[in-house]
Amino acid sequence: MEPKMYAYQCTRCGELHHPRHFVCRKCGNRDFAQVPLEGEAALVTHTRVYNLPEGYMKPFLIFGIARFSNGLCVSGQLEADHPESGMKLKATVGVVKEGVGRDYYGFIFKGAD
Amino acid sequence: MSVRQVGIVGVGHTRFGRFEGPFVEMLSQAAVEALDDAGIRTGEGHGVDQVFVATMGASMLNRQSGVASALVDTLNLRPAMAETVENGPASGASAVKLGYMAIASGMCDVVLVVGGEMMRTVSGWEATDFVATMLHPEAEYNYGLTLPTFAGMFTRLYMEKYGVEEKDLAIVSVKDHQNAMHNPVAHIQLVPDLYSITEDEDARIINPYVAEPLHVYDVCPVSDGAAAVVLCAMEAAGRFRKKPVRIAGVGQATDTHVVAERAVSTDLLAVRLAAQRAYRMAGLKPADIDVAELHDAFTILEIAESEEVGFFPRGEGHLAARRGDTRVGGKIPINTSGGLKAKGHPLGATGVSQIVELVRQLRGEAGGRQVEGAKAGLAVNFGGFGNNVVATILAREE
Ligand SMILES: [Zn+2]
Repeated sequence: MEPKMYAYQCTRCGELHHPRHFVCRKCGNRDFAQVPLEGEAALVTHTRVYNLPEGYMKPFLIFGIARFSNGLCVSGQLEADHPESGMKLKATVGVVKEGVGRDYYGFIFKGAD
Repeated sequence: MSVRQVGIVGVGHTRFGRFEGPFVEMLSQAAVEALDDAGIRTGEGHGVDQVFVATMGASMLNRQSGVASALVDTLNLRPAMAETVENGPASGASAVKLGYMAIASGMCDVVLVVGGEMMRTVSGWEATDFVATMLHPEAEYNYGLTLPTFAGMFTRLYMEKYGVEEKDLAIVSVKDHQNAMHNPVAHIQLVPDLYSITEDEDARIINPYVAEPLHVYDVCPVSDGAAAVVLCAMEAAGRFRKKPVRIAGVGQATDTHVVAERAVSTDLLAVRLAAQRAYRMAGLKPADIDVAELHDAFTILEIAESEEVGFFPRGEGHLAARRGDTRVGGKIPINTSGGLKAKGHPLGATGVSQIVELVRQLRGEAGGRQVEGAKAGLAVNFGGFGNNVVATILAREE
């Protein structure tokens, strides 16, 4: 099954959260509906990092913060040749870290170019 | 508020860098120096009611828990009360805050606060990974995100919004290293040349990127070290050798755990709120502060914090650094100790170390980095990527 990422929408006031919170930041409610968090996003900021964790077999990785059209901002990995603030990105989900006995999935944003 | 006034009568500090020996021995060295400074004789009749030890990583890096109990025993301060305090890189200022509360409440008269971290027992990457465990596990840590990553992304936002340049960051770094040359306990005792680390053809080699646009000279080193202070009720201060420096204000605030969730991505709201609370308690305003220690784990933080605490208008901290306002002799000297950048950043020690520097400044004991006539000092100790911040204001007693 294709892994998915989700936003958590307050069932009382509709406020969106990512990641999941126990209590709604707006109204204090504790019930949330899971809604897919996917599609297009815009790059807010990014950095190319050279000192990578063990297990990442690359000279560098690019990380960024992206804003979805619903307003939610999330951190993720970024695959783009010429990242620039404001550029359009496509949100994909992939392995962001290979753990011992399990892989971790998360956002990998790709330049729409 | 009907609380007792609290003063600092003793300070101690190990040389930051590499410490050979057990963790608790390092803490002990700073502790006895602070006790000696206060004129407290160890042994019977020491009078210490409570010990707080600040450390973020003793259990993870050194595989030791119950550190405060161990310290009380080796110093033979038994049966003093003892707790270990963990609040990430802001553990030190949190421990001082708890010491303040213990005395202000009337529960204690004399409190010893010791902060320490032994980080060089692990590799540089393991240290970075350990610090990253305070990030959000699923939304941040699991991605391979680290504190330098967030600092790099924050720096880019700041540059694009306010026109900060890489050279401005280097100016802050060089200033901190110059100050550290006058601080015998600082880890790094060399001054990089501004031209060589920014414009020279070899600049990219001697000062490579760590997390763009941050270079090596924008990032604090990994250090071992400990710092200690002795707090007492002002009404009991006459017992001690040194004149007390008063804790005039303490403020603390939290912000979102997940950095991407912040409404304004260039704001460090917890810094602003913590400082405002400390000013209110002290009855002082930013213009009353003569010297400041701001948590510059990354050079951009010194600039952003100098704005958030009200020294400069938003977006103008880098202009102040360019003008030299933050140097010793300038309008408001910042990080006279060398800051985290040059003095080093042993996590649990840092908040206590900042207070030690302010005490030395307010006593007039800061040697070649002395701010003449300093009467009030501000320290900002920054936890997470700004999600838990403690601000402390000290004032010289006339
Ligand atoms: Zn709600």
